[in-house]
Amino acid sequence: MSTIEKSPPTSAAAPEPQRPRSHVRSALRGDILFAVVAFGIAVLAILPGRDGAGTSISTMQLVASMAAMTVAAVGLNLLVGYTKLVSLGQGGFYAIGAYASAYLTLDVGLPPLLAILGALALCGAIGAVVAVSSMRLRGPQFAVITLVLAVLVERILNEGNAFGRLAGYPNYAEHDTTSMEPVSVFGITFRPPMIAGEVATVMVPIVVVTVLVLIIARNIAKSPWGSSLSAIGESEMLAAHLGVNVFRRKISVFVLASVLGGLGGVIVTQAFAHLQPETFDIYLTITIVLAVVFGGSGTILGPLVGAVAIVWLEQSDILAEIGSFQQENISDTWYLSTSGLVGVLFILTLFLMPRGIVGTAGQLLATVVRKSAADPDAASTEGSASTADHPAVTTTASTDQHARVERPPVAAGADTSESMLRISGLSKNFGGLRAVAEMDLAVDGGQIHAIIGPNGAGKSTLANLLTGVYQPTEGTVTFLGRDLTGQAPHHVSRAGVARTFQTPQLFHDATVRANVLAGFADTGRTPLWAAALKPPGRYRRDAEMRAEADRLLDLVGLGDVADLRASELPYGKQRYLEIARALASDPQLIVLDEPAAGLLATESVVLGDLLLSLREEGFALVVVEHHMDLVARIADQVTCMDQGRLLARGTPAEVLSDEAVVAAYLGKPHEEGTH
Amino acid sequence: MEPVILGLVLGGLYALLAQSFVLTFITTKTLNFAVGEFVALGAFATIAVSSWSWLPSFGRVAVGFLAASVVGALAYRFIVLPFTTQGEHDTRWLLSTVALSFVMLNLITNVEGPSPQRSDTARISGSVDVLGVGVSKQQLLLAVLAVVISLILIVVSQRTSIGLVMRAVSQDPETTSLMGISPRLVGMGAYAVAMGLAGLAGVLYAATVGASPVMGAPLLVASIAVAVIGGLGSLWGPLLGGALYGVLSEVASFQYGAIWGETAGLLLVIAVLVWKPEGLLGRRMEVKL
Repeated sequence: MSTIEKSPPTSAAAPEPQRPRSHVRSALRGDILFAVVAFGIAVLAILPGRDGAGTSISTMQLVASMAAMTVAAVGLNLLVGYTKLVSLGQGGFYAIGAYASAYLTLDVGLPPLLAILGALALCGAIGAVVAVSSMRLRGPQFAVITLVLAVLVERILNEGNAFGRLAGYPNYAEHDTTSMEPVSVFGITFRPPMIAGEVATVMVPIVVVTVLVLIIARNIAKSPWGSSLSAIGESEMLAAHLGVNVFRRKISVFVLASVLGGLGGVIVTQAFAHLQPETFDIYLTITIVLAVVFGGSGTILGPLVGAVAIVWLEQSDILAEIGSFQQENISDTWYLSTSGLVGVLFILTLFLMPRGIVGTAGQLLATVVRKSAADPDAASTEGSASTADHPAVTTTASTDQHARVERPPVAAGADTSESMLRISGLSKNFGGLRAVAEMDLAVDGGQIHAIIGPNGAGKSTLANLLTGVYQPTEGTVTFLGRDLTGQAPHHVSRAGVARTFQTPQLFHDATVRANVLAGFADTGRTPLWAAALKPPGRYRRDAEMRAEADRLLDLVGLGDVADLRASELPYGKQRYLEIARALASDPQLIVLDEPAAGLLATESVVLGDLLLSLREEGFALVVVEHHMDLVARIADQVTCMDQGRLLARGTPAEVLSDEAVVAAYLGKPHEEGTH
Repeated sequence: MEPVILGLVLGGLYALLAQSFVLTFITTKTLNFAVGEFVALGAFATIAVSSWSWLPSFGRVAVGFLAASVVGALAYRFIVLPFTTQGEHDTRWLLSTVALSFVMLNLITNVEGPSPQRSDTARISGSVDVLGVGVSKQQLLLAVLAVVISLILIVVSQRTSIGLVMRAVSQDPETTSLMGISPRLVGMGAYAVAMGLAGLAGVLYAATVGASPVMGAPLLVASIAVAVIGGLGSLWGPLLGGALYGVLSEVASFQYGAIWGETAGLLLVIAVLVWKPEGLLGRRMEVKL
């Protein structure tokens, strides 16, 4: 049942045709339900304004502010929540979107729709420039550069004469009016909520756009494109090894976030028809960040909940009342008013609810669900743990015959005369240190090549050279006849090389299954438009990937814990999970960096069985390892390195009895460290 | 020539504040985005004791320093430290210090009122002639102080055991704590000194422009820019960054108008970050896998 055949997904699904189709159906149902509920809430939100009653104006303005903040926060969430890049510049894009769409209409004279598109394009372009210039930055430096942008924009709006400075935009001095003409499209005029008796028709496109943005953001978050963002947030190196072009993807997500920030500004312009520079200050940019964090960064609904809550808090009397309450009861001067209370709220959120409202609620819900589900299952989970410890043993035995037929032709098809992987004369210098010197290596499909050597011998550096982490100083890497020398990790990954890391690099908060799903090539290859619009093919592919992921989890013995969070797995199983993820990318060669480090002896045996079964299936494996018993058991060939150089090579028995090898490890030729 | 000299003098103020960013960054890998409010805190603390005629003006300046310094140490312990626990990628402290700046700004505004207050402590009137350009003594004092304090910090960090501890904590807090040194205490110390410097800058700056709650906000962006240009990891950085930023923004605003002054300075930050993300004098860290 559990083979790692490289068969097309349709035939993989053949024995169980029901499962993928039901996944497609339930995914479709979920998406439709989300859209229906979202549009329903949107209609309810603007219902009070249907007859243009004067009393509804402030409500409509509140809804519009919430919508604008939501759109900007959804964009920022892609950066802060998923990609873990803290941007303080979203307020800047918000301001650019608002002012540019107004300026292009009034001063340049573009048709309103074109002006809006122009403003969004401008935000995207500025976003691209900032992104390209800040790509190597993380953490505080990235925050600084985005803050610099927000400050620059604020200064220009406050001091640039073209924007009316403190008179606002538009203003009497230059435009003979203080409010913009409503946009008319196809004879429909979209009026802002300003005058009693007039229906605020602009509210319809505002809420429609907001809902569409939410749907698109949800699609993206649930797509492989979205998992690539989480991967970048976890570790850029990991993302690159999953086949993601980190540089391009970071630029894309920043541009997308910038455009959404600008779109929030466009909504403000349309809803209020007048802009004041002091409303686009640093406080605004921080409020957008707060909306994301308060609502729940990295969650789909977090930005919406956060934006609605923050806007409502600021516009309602609650904060002002708290302020005057303090004045009456504590001190007339030592009290906090709105902005200070928002600051306190921010700090309290970070302390008490780091996952925000939505994240915390989701966590509570998950705990409750699991508790109720766990009781009847408790015994079986415990019981299965022992069988799960020996997953590969049974599968290997039963699948040998199938597997051998299925796998090798791919490797053989390339070039039979040459090895799958060929390294020659590879060297790497770090300053004056020669970490790897003139290494040669050849590995074929269906072969396990172990690399051993004392600490500091250059084993991990060799693995890193192989997968593109480091650029070699000299030498070449050829894989399936292709020259991979000096290629970036995502190119190496796409060429068919997967790897695992010395310390498992997993998405700790994601489920075990989601971790495997991130391993598919889709993570690096899905285009943004496909992630955002979710064409029908995506549903099918998602279902296929899910079935395949479950199959791989069964293979490594994690089938029954697929819904646990990765951090809940014991250390040894995290290693199996990493191998399952590596397999998901459908590689030809897997580089394993100390897969047995930290494993118990029994776990190490199971790992050996798993690796042997992979060999049977035709994978080429390069295993950097310290555990000699494991190496002796599984390796076809062993290379021993010392101080960056080849010390010995041959079968395990030959190398492990080599005097030079023993000396390198122990310094005493008569003692063997192998048993 | 005039804008160059004025730029160098102005750069001194930024450099002094940038030094406080560098100081917290090299010891705790964090920056205090509320530093502008510590500038105001120092200025107002000094004004609060300005009627104590028994206290010499040096003492009043010290009060400004100490007030900011005590609040700074507490801010590190309760606002920064709890949000640095999740490893290198943890940037929650960034948000919590921004939030702190909201709270402090709001509180100071409510207590002291929004309008600027005159501060006479440490005021020196008159100007001196520097290479043919008249520079107010007050501003020159700030610039000289920035250089002197930077040199003191450099000597302390390179020649004394305190400096050794600081550098050790910045490189590897875990190992340092195994040596019996508390990274928490070192961090609090660094914040105390750094925020004290911000308060000191506030006292001296308030003597020229008056003390107001928002006096620090414009300084925040400029000084963080200076710190980034010079390199957040280098105590020499603020001097170089301050000089470059000050001269460039003065020359640009002299030539093209005030709005271009700041813009030019901020564009310089972007240029430096693109070219050398670690800053002009910063050292690049290799990522180990």
